[in-house]
Amino acid sequence: MTIVKKGGAIALGAFVATTLGVSSPAFSKDIVIQMAAPDWGPTRFMQEFADKTYKAPSGNNVKLAIDFIPWPSFYERVAASMASGEKKYQLVVSDSQWIGTFIEGGQFMKLNKYIDADPALQKTLDDVHPALTEAYATYPYKSGNIYGFPQMPDTKVTAFRKDLFCDAGEQAAFKSKYSKTLPCSYEDWEKVDWTTWSDIGEFFRRSPGDKLGAGKSTEEFYGTAYQAGKGYDFSSMQINAFIWQNGGGIWDESNQPKAQAEGVVNSAAAVKGLEKYLDILKHSPPIAKTGQMDIFAIQELYMQGKIAAMINWNAVAAAALDAKNSKVADKTAFGIPPGTKNGSGKMERWDNIGGQPFVLTTWNSEEVVKESLEVVKWWLSPETQLEFAKKGSGNAALMSVMALPEYNAINPWNRAHAAVLPWQKDVWHTPEFFELLTQQQEEYDKAITGQVSAKEALDAIAKFQQELLTEAGRIN
Amino acid sequence: MSIFGKGRKKHALREAGWGYSAICGAIGLVYFSPVLWIILTSFKTRQDALATPPAFFFTPTFDNFVRVFYRLTSEGEQMATGMGLFFFNSIFIAGAGVLLAVIIGTSAAYGFSRFPLKGNDTYLFVILTTRMLPPIVVIVPIFLMFRITGLSGSYIGIILLYAMFNLAFSVWMMKSFFDELSTDVEDAARLEGANEWKVFFKICLPQLKAGIAATSVFALILTWNEFLFALLLTGNDTRTVPVAMARSMGGQLGVDWGLLAAIITLFLIPVFIVTYLLQNHLLRGVTFGTVKK
Amino acid sequence: MRGFLDWIMDPKRRGAMLIAPAIILLFVMNIFPLMWSFGLSFFHYKASSMKPPSFAGLYYYEKVLSDPVVWERFQTTALIVSLSVLVQMIFGFALALLFSKKFPLRREIMMLVLTPMMLSFVAVGVFFKLFYEPTFGLVGQAFKYITGETLILLSTKWGAIAGIVIADAWMWTPFVMLLVLAGLVSVPDYLYEAAEVDRATKWERFKTVTFPYVKGLLLLALLFRTIETFKLFDVVYIITAGGPGTSTETIAVYVYRMAFQFFKTSQSSALSYILLFVVIVLTNLYLYFVNQREQET
Repeated sequence: MTIVKKGGAIALGAFVATTLGVSSPAFSKDIVIQMAAPDWGPTRFMQEFADKTYKAPSGNNVKLAIDFIPWPSFYERVAASMASGEKKYQLVVSDSQWIGTFIEGGQFMKLNKYIDADPALQKTLDDVHPALTEAYATYPYKSGNIYGFPQMPDTKVTAFRKDLFCDAGEQAAFKSKYSKTLPCSYEDWEKVDWTTWSDIGEFFRRSPGDKLGAGKSTEEFYGTAYQAGKGYDFSSMQINAFIWQNGGGIWDESNQPKAQAEGVVNSAAAVKGLEKYLDILKHSPPIAKTGQMDIFAIQELYMQGKIAAMINWNAVAAAALDAKNSKVADKTAFGIPPGTKNGSGKMERWDNIGGQPFVLTTWNSEEVVKESLEVVKWWLSPETQLEFAKKGSGNAALMSVMALPEYNAINPWNRAHAAVLPWQKDVWHTPEFFELLTQQQEEYDKAITGQVSAKEALDAIAKFQQELLTEAGRIN
Repeated sequence: MSIFGKGRKKHALREAGWGYSAICGAIGLVYFSPVLWIILTSFKTRQDALATPPAFFFTPTFDNFVRVFYRLTSEGEQMATGMGLFFFNSIFIAGAGVLLAVIIGTSAAYGFSRFPLKGNDTYLFVILTTRMLPPIVVIVPIFLMFRITGLSGSYIGIILLYAMFNLAFSVWMMKSFFDELSTDVEDAARLEGANEWKVFFKICLPQLKAGIAATSVFALILTWNEFLFALLLTGNDTRTVPVAMARSMGGQLGVDWGLLAAIITLFLIPVFIVTYLLQNHLLRGVTFGTVKK
Repeated sequence: MRGFLDWIMDPKRRGAMLIAPAIILLFVMNIFPLMWSFGLSFFHYKASSMKPPSFAGLYYYEKVLSDPVVWERFQTTALIVSLSVLVQMIFGFALALLFSKKFPLRREIMMLVLTPMMLSFVAVGVFFKLFYEPTFGLVGQAFKYITGETLILLSTKWGAIAGIVIADAWMWTPFVMLLVLAGLVSVPDYLYEAAEVDRATKWERFKTVTFPYVKGLLLLALLFRTIETFKLFDVVYIITAGGPGTSTETIAVYVYRMAFQFFKTSQSSALSYILLFVVIVLTNLYLYFVNQREQET
């Protein structure tokens, strides 16, 4: 609810001013900007920091009020609010995949007009990493239409046990078995491809009593894990990396209606990518066979010291550094995820971006839109972004901040995150995305649990997408 | 249950001794063990909660219970989570919803039982059908309706909705209690000149205490954990515990086992106590009042 | 005003007036929204879009009824429902027999069995998922301790179904138990006494006295639990997410996806009404057995 009170409410304004400890000129307006957001660190930080530091340049009393919604029900709450025309929120944190649904539904607002009229905002946007702008803001994907801004940029990184990978005995054993270096430093990880990753998975498989690092393994120990979960997008996000790196593709929304699904989604390259993905899974802990190895399952296994390395969103992987929750807090280091060597020996590193943008809704007065955009500028100011990385364990969206010499040292994954950003692509953003995603997750799950082959899964996906998108008028 | 007028002799249960108690207790404990595990988890650190082999003995921590009510800010300060309010909301909303359903339901049951309308059975059937619908069917229109009427986020809206949920159940159960009461006493009172209010409040209701208690406790169990409507129709100030509970799942940490277990444990206490106190009436309540003794 | 009060208080209208609040509440909060979505099932409409609906006739009913996925989901649901209800009936009956005697601490011990019913679906789902997890789970670890093998319960169709059925049946067996217990404690003494006079064996006594007396209640439990389990959503969604593949996707999960994720509002409404039809048939069965039982006594 937007509360806009005319200047008459000086008393209330003064009261708010004193309680917030800021002075405001008389006759300023009280404006509350409601934002729907998932309940977690990156948004909690935004609220706390706004309460502490945000002052609208207009002199109005602008308050950012975040409606914290638990993650597991976040989509439902936002979807119901949007579909019913509740018009409660001025700002909405959205997963990048959802934006097309609510842009075509008329709930999310196109911002080009405001950006063109505001050089400061244009400057801010120019500083946002282009991969983030493309994935979080443009619809159709990679068009010039801008709808949102990064709230929490996220990418996948590798978290690994430096006590194991840098152990001299393990290093020597790996070298003699595979004639390769067991990666230990950040630079070592830059050379790791999926075949080496698979070797690592095989190498670190230990049974109770086996030697492990400087000591002995007391229980079953596994090498590697990455996402292979049926829920939401918990396998597609990893599989897309394999498909792209092998030269395959997904249906290209930025090239509709010409782009096809049939023949692209199930191309030989895509099948090869999926086969590689499935092959590596055999080195994962037993839960991989259930198709329930989602981002939280691998995080739990890693934090409890059951696996040597994992690939996960850095927002989630960061929790492994907290000694209260993690047995491996002081033993964890980060690197970039493996890539695929292409024909010419160059490493392909395409990956699927994560994280969330925040967007403006369409039902607000010009004044509220302006104030909302001021909040955007405040959030994407270098000072806020730097503080976000320091205190909110967040990732900066601005290239200027990522280029600061101090940035890489703030969080141990920052260097890897900044390094992989240029390689990020995104899935579809069209309103059909949930149907595409659900069917794809089902087919991938069948492949992961051994019911169908990689080729059968991709054929089924291609057929389904071709029909659905043709019916929707997105393929001619 | 001889409390119900007709005074048929109750079946005397066979007695058994402590040995039988021990057997039943052992079976009960096995059945209860998953709950026990959840309660134990609420006293564990995350590392203990996921320990292999499972930690049966561990140093208990009360940190999870503190975290139910306070969270740390990015500056490391303690900040209230509002969970106290959510507990109050749950108790208030479920309590008021059940109370309203029982009042309206009793009134309707009295009508159905004593003053049958044409098409009585049809009404009863329609009322029953509403209880058996998957809630997903009506979410969008209810959400829309709440928005139009401004009920969204208010106490009154969600209370009315919960009252509606429990209505079918209350009507059916209370009707059967009324059906069982002998009308002789009521008629005698009427002959002596008592008005209808007096007949209802002074003659019928006192005999129905047990029935009302059983209806209430059953409605409470069915309302207590409702999630979907609470998620969509309550606001920040009227949020209930089942919705707030989800906070402990799917953040940076996946499921925060200790915190989730602590919330579940605390949330179990009120409904457990009510059920224990009214347990004897439950036997009656669960049959949907269709059992004739 | 006076006239209005008289009109209301007229004894002829007493029944209607007593029932009116219930009917009004139901109409506003349930029947009205239901008719709304019933209406939508005949229109092209997407709740996520602000476009006005246009008439579609029976298009979506035809679409749903000819959708092979719907039938697949119905079969899966029927399988899970029948297994879960069967387990609930068997264990509910056994527990009821156990508690049909008076013994010290009976109330307290019974609370141990009743508690699962008071948990939320989400709590049951999340913790049972943990129990089944092959590395950390209690079930997996116990299995390994005993057999030395790793149990990966959710990796196969039947394992996943078993996992769901165990969680759901555990939660709702107490319900069946209470129902049956209510029947058991109401078996009149003279029937047992007569059986004793006839020197009937225990089994015969069970067959001729106890069972007929609780038969009606068992049928009630069967139908009520069937109808409730039909709506099973959270436990499935959390424990298996419908996997492996699509082998545990129930109809409730499918309706949810269609309505809330795909925003196929009209189609999900049509499917909901087909579901409602099934529920009404079941409800009528339920009522039929209730009435039969009433005639018996």
